[in-house]
Amino acid sequence: MLPFTVELRTGASVYEQLVYAVQRAIVSNQLSPGDRFPSVRTLSQELRINPNTAQKVVTRLVDQGLLVVQPGVGTLVAQLPESSQKERSELLLREVEQLVVEARRLSLTFDQVVEAVQSHWIRLSEMQPTHEREQVAAEEAVSE
Amino acid sequence: MNAIIQTKELSRRFGRTEAVRNLSLDVPRGSIFALLGPNGAGKTTTIKMLLNMIRPTGGRATVLGTESTRLGPSEFTRIGYVSENQELPDWMTVQDLIDFCRPMYPSWDQDLCRQLTRQFDLPLSRKIKGFSRGMRIKAALLVSLAYRPELVVLDEPFSGLDALVRDEFMRGLLELSDRTEWTVLVSSHDIDEVERLVDWVGVIDKGSLRVSECTASLEARFRSCQLTLESGGRLPDMLPDSWLLPETVGRTVRFVESVYKEGTGDDFIRTVMPEAREVTVSRMSLKAIFMALARTYRSQGREKEWA
Repeated sequence: MLPFTVELRTGASVYEQLVYAVQRAIVSNQLSPGDRFPSVRTLSQELRINPNTAQKVVTRLVDQGLLVVQPGVGTLVAQLPESSQKERSELLLREVEQLVVEARRLSLTFDQVVEAVQSHWIRLSEMQPTHEREQVAAEEAVSE
Repeated sequence: MNAIIQTKELSRRFGRTEAVRNLSLDVPRGSIFALLGPNGAGKTTTIKMLLNMIRPTGGRATVLGTESTRLGPSEFTRIGYVSENQELPDWMTVQDLIDFCRPMYPSWDQDLCRQLTRQFDLPLSRKIKGFSRGMRIKAALLVSLAYRPELVVLDEPFSGLDALVRDEFMRGLLELSDRTEWTVLVSSHDIDEVERLVDWVGVIDKGSLRVSECTASLEARFRSCQLTLESGGRLPDMLPDSWLLPETVGRTVRFVESVYKEGTGDDFIRTVMPEAREVTVSRMSLKAIFMALARTYRSQGREKEWA
């Protein structure tokens, strides 16, 4: 089993779908910094995808700074680099455009879209691992 | 390129019918190569020539560095082959079949064999005679993978298989990527079946090879394009040859660009039609590319018939 959620659709690039799924898992903390990331072989066998494609996905994520390869250990989820914030928001440009086009096609108002974005934002933040939230609660208790 | 299979103008006639016509093809070592085309395009004939099951009437092929017409037992211990209508000895049990095949292959890996038997859920003591189509093809794959062949050739392996068996088949196949340097040639009439698995695609149409390219390069050069004409504007009479399947609906124009250069945006449209508005250029899935090519060949065929 893979430690993150991915459902590959047919008729779309496996590579892009998988890169996106991992980015999503990292942003939503389903994968946390330091977590072990599956090997190319495991990715390929679990998802029934070409091993070379799996390799390309890992290479891309390493290039983006989302994964790090530690010799003798394997591939791990990296600390999100601050400098890549701009790159990451650029990554979303196409998705944002798609969202706007879809929303206008369905005659949604701007406020309705913002509201939907907001509720998804909150939902993803709530998926943070519990220990982190407990830690926050503990710190808050100390400061009181 | 380091090719594990190489053909030069390979041809085969059956009477007056040219089943395969001047087919020149390289299958790179280490790739999972899909030979795609409609039923009757010449895929099975090509594969049978590659494996010395039928003789070419023209051209030649080398497989694992050996002339295909000279392939013999020592090469066949390095090749795994499973076809749609695989013949298996019906009177044997799965265990009999394993015991029968094992001594023929020096590289037989009994651990892998056990693992695949378990993974495929194959009952060792049952006779093949009573097997369903799915169990039959899994048994065939089992005894074709257990000796870790360098080259696996699969002729329409998925047709008529239910989703679960197809999934088990792929999982079993990928088991080989574990340790062996291996190459797969898989034929299919349906890109859906193999889309995730392959990284190299050959498209065969009426016996001729039309495309042979890695999927990354196909995905990079094909784009689905749409634009809107100014009111009163019209499509230029001469469009670039690389614009496939152009069609106009009202003021909307759609086509498929087949030589797109990564990172050039919509420049290639602006130079032809500076007045185009609402231009969108989007990536295409392997399936959409395959469909666009198939439709292009069909319309080209028709033009030829009319000429």
